[in-house]
Amino acid sequence: MSTIAFDARRTAVTTLTGPGGGIGVFLVVLSFVAAFAVPGFWEGNNWYNIGNQTVFFLIVALGMTVVLISGGIDLSVGAVLGLCGGVVANLMASGVPMALAFLAAIAVGTGIGLVNGLLITKLRIPDFIATLAMLGVARGVLFVWTNGIPFVDFINEPYYKIGGLQRWFWEITVPMVVAVVLALVVAGMLRYTALGRHLYGVGSNRDAARLSGVNVDRVRIAAYVLSGFLAAVTGILLAGRNATVQPQMGETYEFSAIAAAVMGGAALSGGKGRVLGAVLGALTLIVIQNIIFLANVGPTWERVVTGTIILLAVLVDRLSGIVARRAGTLRRGGAAG
Amino acid sequence: MLMRRVSSLLAVEGAVVAISLAALMLFFGLRSEFFFDGENIRNLLVQSMFVLVVALGMTFVLVAGGIDLSVGAVLGLSAGTTLLVLQHGAPMPVSLLAGLATGATVGLVNGFIVTRLGINDFIVTLATLSIAAGLLQVLTEKEQLIGVDDSAFAYLANGSIVSIPFPVILVAIVAVFLELILHRTSFGRSVFAIGINRQAAHIAGIDVRNVRFAVYALSGLLAGFGGVLLASRLNSVQPGLGGGYELSAIAAAVLGGTSILGGRGSVWRTVVGAMLLGVLSNGLQLLSVDPVWNTIITGTILAVAVALDQAVQQLALRHLRRGADDVPLIPSGRARVGLGQPTHAGTPAHPEVGE
Repeated sequence: MSTIAFDARRTAVTTLTGPGGGIGVFLVVLSFVAAFAVPGFWEGNNWYNIGNQTVFFLIVALGMTVVLISGGIDLSVGAVLGLCGGVVANLMASGVPMALAFLAAIAVGTGIGLVNGLLITKLRIPDFIATLAMLGVARGVLFVWTNGIPFVDFINEPYYKIGGLQRWFWEITVPMVVAVVLALVVAGMLRYTALGRHLYGVGSNRDAARLSGVNVDRVRIAAYVLSGFLAAVTGILLAGRNATVQPQMGETYEFSAIAAAVMGGAALSGGKGRVLGAVLGALTLIVIQNIIFLANVGPTWERVVTGTIILLAVLVDRLSGIVARRAGTLRRGGAAG
Repeated sequence: MLMRRVSSLLAVEGAVVAISLAALMLFFGLRSEFFFDGENIRNLLVQSMFVLVVALGMTFVLVAGGIDLSVGAVLGLSAGTTLLVLQHGAPMPVSLLAGLATGATVGLVNGFIVTRLGINDFIVTLATLSIAAGLLQVLTEKEQLIGVDDSAFAYLANGSIVSIPFPVILVAIVAVFLELILHRTSFGRSVFAIGINRQAAHIAGIDVRNVRFAVYALSGLLAGFGGVLLASRLNSVQPGLGGGYELSAIAAAVLGGTSILGGRGSVWRTVVGAMLLGVLSNGLQLLSVDPVWNTIITGTILAVAVALDQAVQQLALRHLRRGADDVPLIPSGRARVGLGQPTHAGTPAHPEVGE
């Protein structure tokens, strides 16, 4: 009996003290406050909307989390997802079967990820510059290709479902399922595979990892390839969701993805981060947007409020980490005595 | 002997980026007769100053192992407060102080939250970016900031002394001052030490928290300075002013060899990086390249310049090392800079100190 109770407590403590655990606390508090203060927050389809918006951020944030864990950064994801959406839209508009168009987009995204990885590891271009350059190139190609005019008229009946405009069953859409599956796969990869351990190893100490026989370059390339792949998946889903591909599609997603990952405990210095954190981070960002929308804050004050709430969120995360750690030590000390 | 001399010159980090800058200028000079026109060069220099000022602060932050994403928005907000104060009839120096104080305040807030509350700087400065940009929006919505008729204020960014633009002189003084601080003072050495290994710096007796605090404050102050200059240049402030400057500033610094992981960087190389970006945007405009191609060309040249820099350094160092026994080499400090992987890769990634 008592062992079970103790374990539950310990699980709670480790979850809270783990990277980004406090964001969960903040999210609960925020939702609770919003229930009273913001009309419409707990009503009707709102949580469905929140879920449906979060998934697109989340998939990109998963890739970003992996890249951050490996000690890198990928600024190209927003542009890559826009370009991949463009590939799908263009191919489908010219009559290519949907499955082939999807494959082509995934090939483009994964290929760009591979190029990023090679530029960074083989040509030793700093990750920030390499992916910033790739951002410029991918976004520019999309602009040149579209001439600034959005792709339209490519969508068909099954694509509505894939993009999440129509529900798949009950309250569930395809992107939600895809996001959950991908989150589980990435979490499993990070926790249970050699690649996962190598990612953490390379991120926290590259030299030590190399000396332990890890092929550092290959691990870093894998992180960028995964990030490119996930950006491509997001591009495919988002093209279906929006039913058009604007040349600006995906702009600033890189910042939102990094923000979600970092709020979830990933660090730009590498070696830290987890999938649950990215999920909570992405969800928090969308809930903040949603509350600002519902509360009619208005465009003038919107950014001030967003920034303030993000600051509050990381403050609460920090505090709850300290409190939980302190509580954990006290309990453990008591149990031992 | 000549080869050796060339090699040791090329082994200096940033040499290739400087050569790329010269090559790029030559290219634009050959393609457009207007490029080396005095008026165009002056214009190019002035246009580059705003990103440069921000990039100088960014260099300090990056060398210390941090990042400051708020600078662009802070620059915009500082420009806004400068004009606002001026519009309300305050004397020019007061408005300058208001602009600088705005920047410094955000910098101090960043520094406080990052170092005293121990929160990740990326997320903190992303939040203050949002807040500063939002405040500018609030400010410009309340009243139009379309400038004033004040010749002394206009002189700041539009005047010139013996045909050298006044803002260039101002920024050059600041850059020299900052170069001396970064490389000739104990504060500068502390900044490097913290960037290389925060824990080791702490153990060595460096006041890590206060040095990092100062670095964010400096970055904010310089963004404020950039805002004052831009306000004087444009004499009007729109919402969204300064957006994206943070990325250009980081690009300028990293182009100059500053490591995003901390511990490496220099002021003069950041100047070269910022000038490269400035020349590129000016030259593309002169050649009237379709703006949709701009991001592709800029991105490609960024990647090529840095890749060349890395590759040539490797080659030059290998060449130098081959005959290392008979001839004394370049100063060891320089040789070490280019030895492939940054030295801090061997240290634990930014351990939190003092928790």
